[in-house]
Amino acid sequence: MKKLIGIITLVFTISFAFASVNYAATTANKKSDTKVKNTCLNCHTENENLPEDFKKYDVHLAAGLTCASCHGGDPTSDDDAVAMSKKKGFIGVPAKKDIPKLCGKCHSDIRFMRKYNPRMETDQVSQYFTSVHGMQLKKGNTDVAACTDCHTAHAILPPNDPRSTVYAVNVPQTCDKCHGNKELAKKYGLDPNVYNDYKASVHGKDLLEKKDTGAPACNDCHGNHGAVPPGVKSIDLVCGECHVNNMNYFMNSKMGVAWKELGYHGCVECHSNHKIIKPQDDFVGTSDKAFCVKCHDEGDEGYNVAKSIHSSLTKLDTLIKQAKEKLAKVRKFGMDDLDISYSLKEAHQAIVQSRTEVHTFDSSKVKAKVKPGIEAARKAIKKADSEIREYSFRRNGYAAATLIFLVFIVLFYLKIKKKKD
Amino acid sequence: MNTTRRKFLNFLLSVTGLGALGAIFYPVISYLIPPQNVQAKVNSIKAGKASSFPINSYKIEKFGRKPVILVRDEKGAFHALSAVCTHLQCIVQYRKDLRLIWCACHNGKYDLHGRNISGPPPRPLLEYTVKIVNDNIIITQPS
Repeated sequence: MKKLIGIITLVFTISFAFASVNYAATTANKKSDTKVKNTCLNCHTENENLPEDFKKYDVHLAAGLTCASCHGGDPTSDDDAVAMSKKKGFIGVPAKKDIPKLCGKCHSDIRFMRKYNPRMETDQVSQYFTSVHGMQLKKGNTDVAACTDCHTAHAILPPNDPRSTVYAVNVPQTCDKCHGNKELAKKYGLDPNVYNDYKASVHGKDLLEKKDTGAPACNDCHGNHGAVPPGVKSIDLVCGECHVNNMNYFMNSKMGVAWKELGYHGCVECHSNHKIIKPQDDFVGTSDKAFCVKCHDEGDEGYNVAKSIHSSLTKLDTLIKQAKEKLAKVRKFGMDDLDISYSLKEAHQAIVQSRTEVHTFDSSKVKAKVKPGIEAARKAIKKADSEIREYSFRRNGYAAATLIFLVFIVLFYLKIKKKKD
Repeated sequence: MNTTRRKFLNFLLSVTGLGALGAIFYPVISYLIPPQNVQAKVNSIKAGKASSFPINSYKIEKFGRKPVILVRDEKGAFHALSAVCTHLQCIVQYRKDLRLIWCACHNGKYDLHGRNISGPPPRPLLEYTVKIVNDNIIITQPS
């Protein structure tokens, strides 16, 4: 019996010892997983020869990747000969032509990327090789942008981080690094002023001045990784992604059909491409500023339609301006401006819709949209006039009341004086 | 002559006295019976009876200075959102066929919580709180 107890005790002791060793080993592995040794960073920090663009907040560094994840080598060795040995896969600074494939090693691997960002797309590299940049790089042209030119190499952040070079507000400047380069522009026959044109545009002002990230940056029209100049036939579709009504009206209009036949570019013919200024009512009509007169001569149908559309828009716009001036007066006088504001909102709505309706190039449709706006603007003017009259009545009433009081006091004084005498 | 002068002065005294009384009481009466204006600053409004609001319909309400769109969806739930499109400040509508908020100016679309679906609007619409108290629809400014 004693022998049996001894054997059981021995078995338990041995099992416990094995379990303890196994647990210790597992814990050690987990610890090394969470904090990977990165001797490259240690030495390069000590020697103060970190890459120029290195930032500690780099998304890869923060996720626990090491320098060796991209550059190869052994980041666990303190011996630099071993750490940067070719046998350990050290590649040093990768050649530009190899960068997309290098990034794609992880970014094209859906299983790998899921561990870090389950929603991230993994087709960037294949998209990149469909772009002008990618196609040129494949041919060996290193003037074009590769991943690191836009994302940086050592300060990479997700595009929703305002510090990122690819954050919406920063995108135009990032593209301008190359597209604003006069030498490169000359070499490839491109316009180096694209950034300045965009900056002055309605989109640029919203994005760069108001920091409105809803406004389109370069990539919203040209694409991200598959960046190409929009095809001639697709320009209306590019603008139409946001300006849906304008595109539909235009494409279904007589003008849209005619332009297609003539091979015209669509939106850009009147609105330009990068320097898209706020549309003016003078764009349409028969004045020198109007685009219509570039093709239409006095007396033809298009000329008359343009004249009629411009007249409708101007009529409403003038009334809105008048109403606004009166509203400002009403507010200055401290009178009730609520109904006037609401009527002006209706008029504003009508003019916005009328301006969109211009893309039908149908003067009767524009007139129909303008009509409720004219009524609303007139209502606003009428109400404003009534408030201004009310203000004058109160002001004059106050003066009259003061005068009456004064006369009354004088007369009353005379009456009392007379009685005393 | 003196009697006529006195009579005239007395008459003038009475008229100016009445005028003075009028000048005192007119503003008082105007204050007590104010014109029917909507309050400029409001935190909540009553928007009619819930039982009489048709399903899958909408109306625009004045929430002080801001127009608000009140929608009753096909399930009968109420939604209130700022009615001013965040693109070019047009007044939005509820599209029964699409079951979403739509801006006629540039085809901007939002869901019934004001979130952007498509089109040029850069931001969502502000969502207001809707409560039904004794069949009254109460729209409240979000905190």
